[in-house]
Amino acid sequence: MTLAPPSSDVEALAERVRVAARAGESLRVVGAGTWLDAAAPVAASEPLSVRDLTGVVEYVPGDLTITVRAGTTLEDVDRITREQGQWLTLDPYGSRAGTIGATIATASAGPLATSFGTPRDVVLGLEAVLGTGTIMRAGGRVVKNVAGFDLVRLLCGSWGTLGVITEATLRLRALPEREETLATGLEDAPSAVQAFRAAMRDLPFNPLACEVLNGALAAELGLGDGAVALTRLGGNPDALGAQRAAVQALGETSVVDPAIWERLRTAEGEPAAVVRLSHLPSRVGELWAASREIARRWAGTRCQASIARGVLRCVLPRRDPGRGGAANAVASALYIGVEATRSFERLPGELWSAIGPRLAPESIELRVKRAFDPGNVLNPGIMGVVG
Amino acid sequence: MIARDSELLAYTSDALPSHARRPRVAVFPGSRDETINVVRALAEDGVPFVPRGAGTGLSGGALSDGAVLIGLNRLRRILSIDTDNGIAVVEPGVVNATLSRAVASAGLYYAPDPSSQSACTIGGNVAENAGGPHCLKYGVTTNHVLAITCLLASGAVVSLGNASGERTGYDLVGAFVGSEGCFGIALDVTVRLTRLPQAVRTLLADFLTVDAAARAVSSIVASGIVPAALEMIDQATVRAVEASVYAAGYPTDAAAVLLIELDGPVAGLEHDVSIVETLCRSVGARTIRIARDETERARLWQGRKKAFGAMGRLAPHLVVQDAVVPRTRLPSILAAIERIAHEHGVMVCNVFHAGDGNLHPNVPYDGNDPDQVARVDRAMRAIMAACVAAGGTISGEHGVGLDKVGYMTSIFSEDTLHAMCALRSVFDPDQHSNPAKVVPVHSCREWAGAARQPRS
Repeated sequence: MTLAPPSSDVEALAERVRVAARAGESLRVVGAGTWLDAAAPVAASEPLSVRDLTGVVEYVPGDLTITVRAGTTLEDVDRITREQGQWLTLDPYGSRAGTIGATIATASAGPLATSFGTPRDVVLGLEAVLGTGTIMRAGGRVVKNVAGFDLVRLLCGSWGTLGVITEATLRLRALPEREETLATGLEDAPSAVQAFRAAMRDLPFNPLACEVLNGALAAELGLGDGAVALTRLGGNPDALGAQRAAVQALGETSVVDPAIWERLRTAEGEPAAVVRLSHLPSRVGELWAASREIARRWAGTRCQASIARGVLRCVLPRRDPGRGGAANAVASALYIGVEATRSFERLPGELWSAIGPRLAPESIELRVKRAFDPGNVLNPGIMGVVG
Repeated sequence: MIARDSELLAYTSDALPSHARRPRVAVFPGSRDETINVVRALAEDGVPFVPRGAGTGLSGGALSDGAVLIGLNRLRRILSIDTDNGIAVVEPGVVNATLSRAVASAGLYYAPDPSSQSACTIGGNVAENAGGPHCLKYGVTTNHVLAITCLLASGAVVSLGNASGERTGYDLVGAFVGSEGCFGIALDVTVRLTRLPQAVRTLLADFLTVDAAARAVSSIVASGIVPAALEMIDQATVRAVEASVYAAGYPTDAAAVLLIELDGPVAGLEHDVSIVETLCRSVGARTIRIARDETERARLWQGRKKAFGAMGRLAPHLVVQDAVVPRTRLPSILAAIERIAHEHGVMVCNVFHAGDGNLHPNVPYDGNDPDQVARVDRAMRAIMAACVAAGGTISGEHGVGLDKVGYMTSIFSEDTLHAMCALRSVFDPDQHSNPAKVVPVHSCREWAGAARQPRS
């Protein structure tokens, strides 16, 4: 365990926010910078980096909790916890050099969300510098806590627009005794994905993760060029054996190297756009059909369905950067008629104001923003334009 | 509507008898529209109100000091059940256990299970972010709520969250759950249902020292096996239970017993049971009993769930306390509690969610004896201070309400309390919904003053 230095630098960061508020400036909050293009272009005068706020503040393995400073990378947390037979069950897409602070601020989650939820389910406590320049410490270092209003969940997924996260306490899990990953071949058709989802739902266990990949993504990972379901299992030897047999009964199944999950997370490079379509899990067939339409319009689109969560993620690879009209092409690929919630992880800059999220005037969201960042100092516009 | 003193008496307390407040009047709307009309009429006249479910709360959160009490327990319709996706939409007055019963035939249940689940309402659970023994494995209320239709104190109706798809924007459901009635009234709640486990094994392990039981908890937690529940019941509580109609067959000569439940698919379950048995024995468990059937299992649980009731035999009044410590601190905090009890001459009955580190040190006492009241009060303060000093918090599941407002400054800075006031003001700028709860009044007053002045 390394002890982090006292938080004079958090005080300095708070002072920086206060100065900006007085001067009417705005700040762009930056961690490792790996997701800089992810969201709306922020019209901020200056960057505000938390990259240097790194290190473990407290780690007592017996408590299965860890407190780290926000700039600590996912890779570091993974290494430190695995040494104790534990893990942080957050596996967001993108680089392992991404920071804990950014993961929480963007509520980023990967395949493990199927069994462990998203950052809101994992974060126990936060320290943050609010847009008012004050420092708050909400939640705590214990796994169960209802003291006071829940500022922790409010900050999770707020994209740094309410406060700059400087420290987080996270719930850890013990690593499963054994793990195994299975690949099951599927027909690339909405009805097949729908049926696979229903069959998985009826099994008496929850896998750690289960993602159905389209042919383009499967090919990228060396799994052939047809649709394939990747299922991650964990547990004791008896449990694992029964789970394996149950999945094998669903189709042509082979055991694959579990390192495939890491490659899935980091496969995409710098795509032109990433969109998630979500609905009730029972509507995953419709989402799959929509993703096929996007892939038809944008060649090479890689899709994966988190079938238990009803989330379909589409990654539109970057084309020749010299070609103009990319934004228009992305827009027309994404303008598809499907009833779904759309979440954009990445879009060409000029598209955000057209199809990105909006904050309704007089909405609770807008009132929250004004309460926590009255000067509109932090990441203005990143959660959507007002109107 | 109730306005007569004699009838209002029933609404002057919740399940915590140490606080009493008299509402001005109590109203019990019979429908969603009536609820909206009541709140709008109150908003027009600027009259504050307090929402109340079944009144089973343990923090004085639903007490009303002159405000209008709005009882929501007549809004008890289950509006829809979607077994395919495992979600249900319910009105706030639906009783927790009623919902689980309603979906049981589809192989589902509602996972958060506070001890009062046969009476408490989903609306109250949402307000308190209620927990329960099985939250160790399945999470607390906030992990099971997908969306809420919320009636603000202004009379406006807003929908929070998204039941059909991912959340977008700020996590307002997360902000609302656990807001203790201060952000408004939940008119309906969309909850996630959980699949009933294929198999359940319930173990009772008994120990000759509290320390050994606490060490068994730590070693189970560290093993990576996540029991569905991991409860500790100390000797004082065991004796109260065994002397009552809720007798569960706990050994009365043990210093503490652990009630451990493992659930999940049949395959692999016995493997985990045997590991847990080994871990308990390795720290000195005397006997380990495994429930042979559902009847025996229900009996073992009855002792735990009715423990507070059984303590009623010991004295006229009972402090039901709620605090949390990091789980490795359990042995030292239990020793500290014993010391404190001895020092102040009070009896502490510990019955709690050990796997979460969520303590319930309860003190039976006679509220008519001022000396006892003073000693109990001092002992409670000392216990809470010890939990906070151990890196813990002041409430794991009962909420702050009225009872714990005084402790808030021991764990939160003024700036953090101000941030809580700011969040409250987003939902309820005039503080008309459940006024003067959760955050100390002076913090909110200071914050309101500062918010009016532009920062220099």
